[in-house]
Amino acid sequence: MADASVRARIQRFGSYLSGMIMPNIGAFIAWGLITALFIPDGWFPNETLGSLVGPMITYLLPLLIGFTGGRLVYDFRGGVLGAIATMGVIVGAEIPMFLGAMIMGPLAGFAMKVIDGWFQHRIRVGFEMLYNNFSAGILGAFLAGIAVFFVGPIVNALTNTLADGVEVIVNLGLLPLASILIEPAKILFLNNAINHGILSPLGVEQAADAGKSILFLLETNPGPGLGVLLAFSVFGKGVSKASAPGAAIIQFLGGIHEIYFPYVLMKPILLLAVIAGGMSGVFTFTVFNAGLPATPSPGSIFALLALTPQGNYLGVISGVVVAALVSFLVASVVLKTSKAEEEDLAAAAGRMEEMKGKKSDATGYLTPKPAKEVVGMTSGDRVEEDNTQPVNAAPVKNATDIHKVVFACDAGMGSSAMGASLLRNKFKKENIDIPVSNTAINQLPEDADIVVTHKDLTDRAKAKLPNAEHISVENFMNSPEYDKLARRLKNE
Amino acid sequence: MAKDVLSKDNIKLNVPLTGKEEAIRFTGEILVNGGYVDAGYIDKMFEREEMASTYMGNFLAIPHGTEDAKKNVFETGISVVTVPEGIDFGGGNLAKIFIGIAGKGNEHLEILSNIAIVCSEEENIEKILNARSEEEILDLFSEVG
Repeated sequence: MADASVRARIQRFGSYLSGMIMPNIGAFIAWGLITALFIPDGWFPNETLGSLVGPMITYLLPLLIGFTGGRLVYDFRGGVLGAIATMGVIVGAEIPMFLGAMIMGPLAGFAMKVIDGWFQHRIRVGFEMLYNNFSAGILGAFLAGIAVFFVGPIVNALTNTLADGVEVIVNLGLLPLASILIEPAKILFLNNAINHGILSPLGVEQAADAGKSILFLLETNPGPGLGVLLAFSVFGKGVSKASAPGAAIIQFLGGIHEIYFPYVLMKPILLLAVIAGGMSGVFTFTVFNAGLPATPSPGSIFALLALTPQGNYLGVISGVVVAALVSFLVASVVLKTSKAEEEDLAAAAGRMEEMKGKKSDATGYLTPKPAKEVVGMTSGDRVEEDNTQPVNAAPVKNATDIHKVVFACDAGMGSSAMGASLLRNKFKKENIDIPVSNTAINQLPEDADIVVTHKDLTDRAKAKLPNAEHISVENFMNSPEYDKLARRLKNE
Repeated sequence: MAKDVLSKDNIKLNVPLTGKEEAIRFTGEILVNGGYVDAGYIDKMFEREEMASTYMGNFLAIPHGTEDAKKNVFETGISVVTVPEGIDFGGGNLAKIFIGIAGKGNEHLEILSNIAIVCSEEENIEKILNARSEEEILDLFSEVG
């Protein structure tokens, strides 16, 4: 039993990571395309378009990740906080901060959630907007400010450790082992220090003597990344599967390695695949005594081959192929086993939901969204009957499972706002500590536990959020349902 | 200069209206004449009414546009119309107080929330229907909070 819950927790963490990355894959691809095409070493060098490259990877991608991460924890409000806090790590570090965003985003969302938990119900009616905006602003400014100071030293310490490690390994002549440090460093964007600080100077020295150096191949080998992307193309699912082939082209032919980083970040165990691929690639290079006279840039297969000296083609090509193959095999095993597990989990989560009637964060990614939404009921569809009883096919939840009540109407501008104020007022009188908000049906938040709608709109709300408990009311001003709900939640 | 969401000019007391359609149109026209919405908004109010009744209970109805009608809204505004005799608002509901709403942002939520709390007490409904001046209504709705 304990085993299953640990596994579920790990799975849940995993789906969290991919939840942060997956929705933003399109942005990575856009960046990869622009980079492959327009940088000075690209296919159609163009200074104007190339100027997009830096800001996109420094700001756009981490901010998107930070926003998405915060949003996963605490809806839109959490997302905004996540983006603000991520700005702190971006400015504080000199490298693109994907990992920093993946930490700060959810953290900031969570901080907002905690603070709202303390204060939101104490805010007097009418001051909600003021509280919402200023609490978010103050907390965001604070988090971003803290991050600016803390992230720099952390990144430096990490970089120096990795660089020292690589130096020791290179000096000992155990080159394949260097991949253990180089591959994770690449994904965290810490590879520049290793390249420029250690590998390049040593490589230039060797190349001056021997005309070539294997050190130029350690980090630029596109094989390991290609293997991971190919594995996703075959064994991945959903967005990751569909986008991986295109990403592979950008990475392998265009030499933009960064494009495979998100795939590894959303399943960190895939580090094993790139490390194994990197090691076997380096080992193959060593066996063939392959080397390049200079650093290929970007690390595309074309750049590699263009620099390969006569007689080294077999070695270089073999190293790339072996690396890709090994990485592909390891990644495939990882994806296949975790896929089976995820399917189990999706089924298990489904059963759990039925029993508890509660939608957990993790299951949001494991179960497909309802494809059909009932839109625009016309008067013809409307059943004219005085059915005042709530029609509740959806489960009734335990009081302890309820953290958020949302009133919804078509536009979110009228009835739901009035209903929400009344229930909020009622909760306040009864000392019930559950936030009540209002929204348009189309913007119903995923994490709403109870959705209250006018009886004519309940079907639409159910189509939008099938796993929430739905309460149908006819009289928004004076519904017996409010008292019923208050009584139910008070008795917890 | 930004207009008040609810001003004296937006309140009409004891209006001799007889039908649901007339009531919605009258409530909407106050918003049109006040420069809060364009004339197309009234059609959207009827559309919204078709979708689901805006009758809230306690003799209160809050006619407003659909979600896509937000483009017809210049500025957020609220109108108040009282019809003490009551109007059949469909489904056997008798409406006596009509709150017309045109929401662009969220500025109206504060006052709407006050209106909700005021109107949830039946004695306040009586007070509104017996009001002699627009100021009384303004006072009632701004007193809570």
